[in-house]
Amino acid sequence: MRPTLLRVLVLVAIASPATAQQSRTPLKPPVLTADSAARAIADSIALMKEFEKLTTAAKPAPAANNSAQGSTNTRMMPDFSAVGDLVGDLSPKRSTQADNSRFGIREVELAVQSVVDPYFRADFFLGINDSEKISIEQAFLTTTALPAGVQAKLGRFLMPLGKQNTTHRHDLHTVEYPYVIQRFLSDDGLKGTGVTTSMVMAPFGFYQELIVGVVDHFIDTPDGLTVDKPVNRNLDGLGYSARLRSYVDISQNANIELSASAMTGKVAQPLTASYTTADNVTASAVGARQTVMGVDVTYRWKPLQQGIYRSFILQAEVMRQVNERNPVLPALSPLFDPAPGFIRGYAGPTRNYTGGYVFARWQLSQRLYLGGRYDNVQDPMAAGAALTAGSAVLEWFPSEFSKLVASYERVNQGSALGLDRLLLQAVFSVGPHKPHPF
Amino acid sequence: MNVRQWIAVVGLALSVPTVAHSQLKVVTSTTDLFDIASAVGGDKVKASHIGEGFQDPHFIEAKPSFVLQLRNADVWAFVGLDLEIGWMPLLLDGARNPKIQLGGSGYVDVSKAMPVIDVPRGSVDRSMGDVHPFGNPHYWLDPENGRRIAKLFLAKFSELDPKNAAEYAANEKAFETKLGAAETAWQAQLATIKGKPVVAWHTSWNYFAEYTGMRIVAYMEPKPGVPPSPSHLLQVVQAVKASGAKVIIMEPFYDRKVADLVARQTGATVLILPPSVGGVPGITSYLQLMQHDVTELSTRVK
Repeated sequence: MRPTLLRVLVLVAIASPATAQQSRTPLKPPVLTADSAARAIADSIALMKEFEKLTTAAKPAPAANNSAQGSTNTRMMPDFSAVGDLVGDLSPKRSTQADNSRFGIREVELAVQSVVDPYFRADFFLGINDSEKISIEQAFLTTTALPAGVQAKLGRFLMPLGKQNTTHRHDLHTVEYPYVIQRFLSDDGLKGTGVTTSMVMAPFGFYQELIVGVVDHFIDTPDGLTVDKPVNRNLDGLGYSARLRSYVDISQNANIELSASAMTGKVAQPLTASYTTADNVTASAVGARQTVMGVDVTYRWKPLQQGIYRSFILQAEVMRQVNERNPVLPALSPLFDPAPGFIRGYAGPTRNYTGGYVFARWQLSQRLYLGGRYDNVQDPMAAGAALTAGSAVLEWFPSEFSKLVASYERVNQGSALGLDRLLLQAVFSVGPHKPHPF
Repeated sequence: MNVRQWIAVVGLALSVPTVAHSQLKVVTSTTDLFDIASAVGGDKVKASHIGEGFQDPHFIEAKPSFVLQLRNADVWAFVGLDLEIGWMPLLLDGARNPKIQLGGSGYVDVSKAMPVIDVPRGSVDRSMGDVHPFGNPHYWLDPENGRRIAKLFLAKFSELDPKNAAEYAANEKAFETKLGAAETAWQAQLATIKGKPVVAWHTSWNYFAEYTGMRIVAYMEPKPGVPPSPSHLLQVVQAVKASGAKVIIMEPFYDRKVADLVARQTGATVLILPPSVGGVPGITSYLQLMQHDVTELSTRVK
C-alpha cells in the first residue's frame, strides 16, 4: 500500500475515538480539545515515522545469492513432471500381466500442471505405455474463484467413486487396484469426461464434502461389442455420480473418514448374438443401466511428534453393482435373415454383485512399510464366482520421490486352483509433482 | 428489479469477500509465526496454526480438518522457501478461499521479507537430498528475523484492518521491546556459545548458528532429509573428536537412537532443542523458545 494512503488511513484511525473499542455501535462525533488534537497529531507523526521505517525495513537486505526475493518463474512455465511405473512379475506358474511380460514399463505418466488465470487451474496427465501408446489419463480445469466454497472440475478425471479410485495407480499402497475396483470399474481406475462440482461444508462441526458429477458415460464399451445406439444417446444414459465424504479428527494423532458414493449410467452389455436392428445397425450389445454404490472407511494413526517413523492405516471399501435385468432389446430389422439356432436375447448380467476389500499398512521405520490386503468379490466377469485374494506388501521409499515394492498374493477364483503372484514394482518421479489427495 | 438484476446482485454479493470482521482470522503454518502474529495482532486477530511445534514442518499431513480452518481465513502466513511444498497446495486448493490463494490479499509468504542463507549455487537437483532450492527456510531462529516477521505482520494486519493499525503498531513495538530486553539478558550466554563446535542433525540450525556464533562441525544427515549411514556416522564421530564438540543438537521429532550412538562413541551429549514454539512442554512463546534454546545450549557447551 502506498505510504501516503497508509498515513491517511492511520490518521483517520487515530482521529476516531472508536478505534480503541471493539463495539460496532454507531459513534458520536469526537469532541476535540486543543490537547487531544496535539496528542493525536504527535501520535500520528510518530506512527508515520514507524511506518516509514517499516516500508524500508520490510524490504529484504540484499544478499549475494538471494534468488528467493525475485520472481522464480518469470516465463510462467507450468510444472512438468514424470512418473515411471515399472512392474516385474515373478509369479511361479506364469506371468499374470495382461501382456504376459515378466518385466515391463506399466506406464510413464507425464504431467503438466499450472495456474491458467485467476479463475482456473489446469492439470494434464498423459499415460504412455506400449499397449495403449499415449492416452489422456486426465485433463481438467479446476475453478479457483467460485463463491460459497464451491469448486468445479471440467474435463477428464478419475471419478470420485469410492476411496482408492481417486488415487493414481502408481500412488497406491499396493501394486494394483483392489479387485472390486478392477472388476466393477476399471483395471487402471475409472475415469470420466464431464464436470463435477464439489462443496465443502461442516454443518455438524466436522469436514464434509459433497461431490456430484455428470460425465459422458459410465463404463467404456468393451472391445468387440457394438451397441445399437450410443449408450449416452439420451441424457439418462450419461454417467451420474455423487459422493459424500465425512472426515473427523479423533485426536491429534488419529482420524477417521467415512464416505458413501454412487454412480449410475448405461453400459454396453452383450446380446446373445449379433443381429441387424431396425435402425439397420449390426448390434452385438445393448445399453443397460448399471449402478455402483459403495461405502468406504479409512482410519489413520500417525503420531505428530514421531510421525516420520510410525504410522498405521486401515481401510475398507464395499461396493454393490446393481444391473438392469431386462433391458429393452433393439428391434430386429425385417430384413435380417437369422442363421439356424439364432436366439435374440440378452446375455448381460442378470443379477447384482457385491465386492470389497480390507487393507492395512504399518510403518516399520522412516522408509519401510508393511501392508496386507484381503479381497472378496463376486466376479461379474465369471458369472459371480467368488474371487478372493490375500496379499502382503513391503514398500521401501528411498526418498519421497522413489518407491520399491515387493508383493506376494494368493488369488482364488471359484473352484479353480489358487494362483500365486509375486510382483515387484519400482516407481520414481522427477519434477514438481503435486501431492495427491489425503 | 427483474430476475437478471437480482441474479447479478446476488452473484456480486457472493463474490465480494466479507470485509466486516470483528477479528482478522489468521492461520499460520507454524507455531512460531502463530505466536508472533498473536503478539502483533493481540485481541484484534483470531490466530490459529496448522503444524505443531514438536512436528516436522516438512511432513505435515494435509488433513481435511485444516481446510475448515483455512476456508474462512483472512490471512494465510507461511514460512515459504518450499518448507510447506508437500502439503500446502492441497490445503489451499481444498479451502477454495480466494483471499489466501497466491495473489490474494491474505497470502503471506513470510520468506519474502527475509535475508535468506544457504541458497544453492549452480545446478540444483535431488541428488543433493531434500534440498531447498531457494534457500534455507528455518530463518525464524534468528531474533532479527523474528523482528522482520513482526513488522511484516504489522504491515499486513494494518493493510487489511486499518482501523486497528495503531494497536498493531503498539503491539509490535511491545514485542520488539520484550525481544530486545531478552537479548540483552542472554548476551552472557551467547558469549559462552560463540565459537563452540556442535553437531546438528539437520540444516535447520544454520540461522541459529549465525546468531549465536556456534560452529556446526558436522550434520548427522549426510544430505538434508537422508538418514545417516554407517560410513557417514564414522565421519561424524571423527569430526566430533577432532573438533572437541560436546553437543549433538537435534529436534524432538527425530529418532535419537543414532545420535545416542555417536554420543556414546565420543563422550558428547545429545541435546533435544525445540526448533519451534511448543517443541517441548513449557515453551509457549517465541521469546521463551529463543531463551530456552540459548540457555540450554550455553549450559551444555561450557
